[in-house]
Amino acid sequence: MSLVSGPGRAVGTTPSSLNLSVERHVEYIKNLDSRRDELEYWLTEHLRLNGVYWGLTALHLLGRPDALPREDTINFVLSCQREDGGFGAAPGHDAHMLYTVSAVQILVTLDAIDELEKRGLGGKEKVASFIAGLQDKDTGAFMGDEWGERDTRFLYGAFNALSLLGLLDTVDVPKAIAYVQQCENLDGGYGIQPGAESHAGQIFTCVGALAIAGRLDLVNRDRLGGWLSERQVDNGGLNGRPEKLPDACYSWWVGASLAMIDRLHWIDSGKLAAFILRCQDSEAGGIGDRPGSMVDVFHTHFAIAGLSLLKFDGVQEVDPVYCLPKTITLKYLSR
Amino acid sequence: MAAHGIPRYSLQAERTEEGRQKELHKIEKYRELDQSVRDKIAKHQHTPETLQKISELLTSNPEYYTVWNYRRQVLRSEFSAAASAGSDEAAAAQISTLIKNDLLFTVPLLRSFPKCYWIWNYRTWLLDEAKRLLPVPAAQKFWQEELALVGKMLSLDSRNFHGWGYRRFVVETLRELKSEEQDGKQMTQTEFEYAKKMIGANLSNFSAWHYRTKLIQRLLTENAASDEERRKMLDDELDLIHRALCDPYDQSLWFYHQNLMCTFDPSVADQTLAPKLSDAERLDYLRREIDEIQEMLDGAEDCKYIYQALIDCTMLAWKVEGSAPSGESKSKVLDWLAELKTLDPLRLQRWLDFEQSLGR
Repeated sequence: MSLVSGPGRAVGTTPSSLNLSVERHVEYIKNLDSRRDELEYWLTEHLRLNGVYWGLTALHLLGRPDALPREDTINFVLSCQREDGGFGAAPGHDAHMLYTVSAVQILVTLDAIDELEKRGLGGKEKVASFIAGLQDKDTGAFMGDEWGERDTRFLYGAFNALSLLGLLDTVDVPKAIAYVQQCENLDGGYGIQPGAESHAGQIFTCVGALAIAGRLDLVNRDRLGGWLSERQVDNGGLNGRPEKLPDACYSWWVGASLAMIDRLHWIDSGKLAAFILRCQDSEAGGIGDRPGSMVDVFHTHFAIAGLSLLKFDGVQEVDPVYCLPKTITLKYLSR
Repeated sequence: MAAHGIPRYSLQAERTEEGRQKELHKIEKYRELDQSVRDKIAKHQHTPETLQKISELLTSNPEYYTVWNYRRQVLRSEFSAAASAGSDEAAAAQISTLIKNDLLFTVPLLRSFPKCYWIWNYRTWLLDEAKRLLPVPAAQKFWQEELALVGKMLSLDSRNFHGWGYRRFVVETLRELKSEEQDGKQMTQTEFEYAKKMIGANLSNFSAWHYRTKLIQRLLTENAASDEERRKMLDDELDLIHRALCDPYDQSLWFYHQNLMCTFDPSVADQTLAPKLSDAERLDYLRREIDEIQEMLDGAEDCKYIYQALIDCTMLAWKVEGSAPSGESKSKVLDWLAELKTLDPLRLQRWLDFEQSLGR
């Protein structure tokens, strides 16, 4: 069970109605695995495990949790695990933080963490030790893999997966939080590393990490909320930085950040929802970055998750911190 | 990562049977190449032939991160071979050639895929290897050339997020490699000029303004600037932004303005270019700022950023004074807020929250 992650071979025209084409999107996601006769399927193998997470979560949010075969999905996830406990994007690919986080999220969603014990390598402790091994003990930052790239995405990913596994105490949380604080800018936002400009994607990861650690008190909510709310442009969509084009996936990065600091009402949700719906391919299914753009499962997922934040009718509630169905995080995090 | 800004296929682009067969053939070729690389790596064949296959594979798919890792393995073993053959100088020359050729390999890829994280990461690794394995002057040369390359990349896309981050990183490493204080100062000055040039080319470049904020602070620290010199710098920056704001509709400029206003905010002033102003000086600056911004309203009465800045400055003045909103300044804020509620309907709830916080 593995889904193609690249652009879809969508054939639809611009949607005229403002309904969410639930059935079309469900079919689009289900069919991603049957596109092995397209070069794109093979060229996006390095995103496969992320793709399964995006597709599966979108299906849950669309109220179709059983649309992908559970057993096959678990088998695929486990087939991506490497000796060191981490997961690669696909079988035989090197372990990396990004895919390890997706693996944990998928297993949590399928209530199959115990499969790590039964069939994985060394249970959830082994996965946690891979993640913990990527923390830089001096700065508190996290690397993506053994080759050392540092990015606040990895820090958030580590917190996300470890807290879901109940093993957050295997890393130095205070040091990591101090690192996040170093990434804060005077505009209230956060960058990819200390000194980098504020970027909505990195803001999501930093605020998410602070939320998981119970340290949202460190955020300057009004100032950050102001910066984030300025991401909404006249057509209703959100961009990631000043003067950039809007993109449906920022509905999530910006929207979830606003939700975490209780400022989601600072943007016009009706206009945002309308923008997202205009990005749909309502004939062939799937959602793209902008109206008329090629669809892909990444944008499909984050656009639907964005609609969920807006409490869009017919979409299940998403957890703004974890980007998983709320029912699932409620169950897991209370264990 | 995913499709950004690619137009949706039209119905006519549906594949013909012939097109399908062609694609299947391409898939077969690609998978064969992938398999052959994997086989060679599994057998630890770290040879020029393997490197060639890896190059082919990465050229067809630069996002294939595992193959970049394979490339590192092959290069590492070539470095070891070079190090153990011949004199230190010969080894360094050989390693330099290997690194140089590999850097060249990634240039066309970077040009076609400027947003691909993995290519940038790989270059970073190569340059770090230069730092690790080569004498300092040789390593420095590589890093210096990298600064020129990133300059070129940023002139093609002046907002490339990776490009700016990468530039900061290259400059940091050059500082380490140069170590002598004088050179460090020189670098900050050169970078400051660079940021200035980029802003000059496009005033809306928020990335360049951000870089400028960081560089000014560094420049002042490195020069052990006096309070007087710091104030002079602040005055120059205020002057610059006021002139730039002859187009008051540009959001990037207002964010830079907001950054400068932090200088007058007692709770964050220590992170700014002039941390030691007295409260009286802060109030004086804020009053002049409010006058200056109010003048911008002339002919730009529909520009919401102006009202926002006026409110921010007034609130800051209240904060410095330790006074509660009241009297004339409060009624002005309420007037500006009324404008905002009309001019900025997308964020209406934000302004209503603010109104409530004023206790109206």
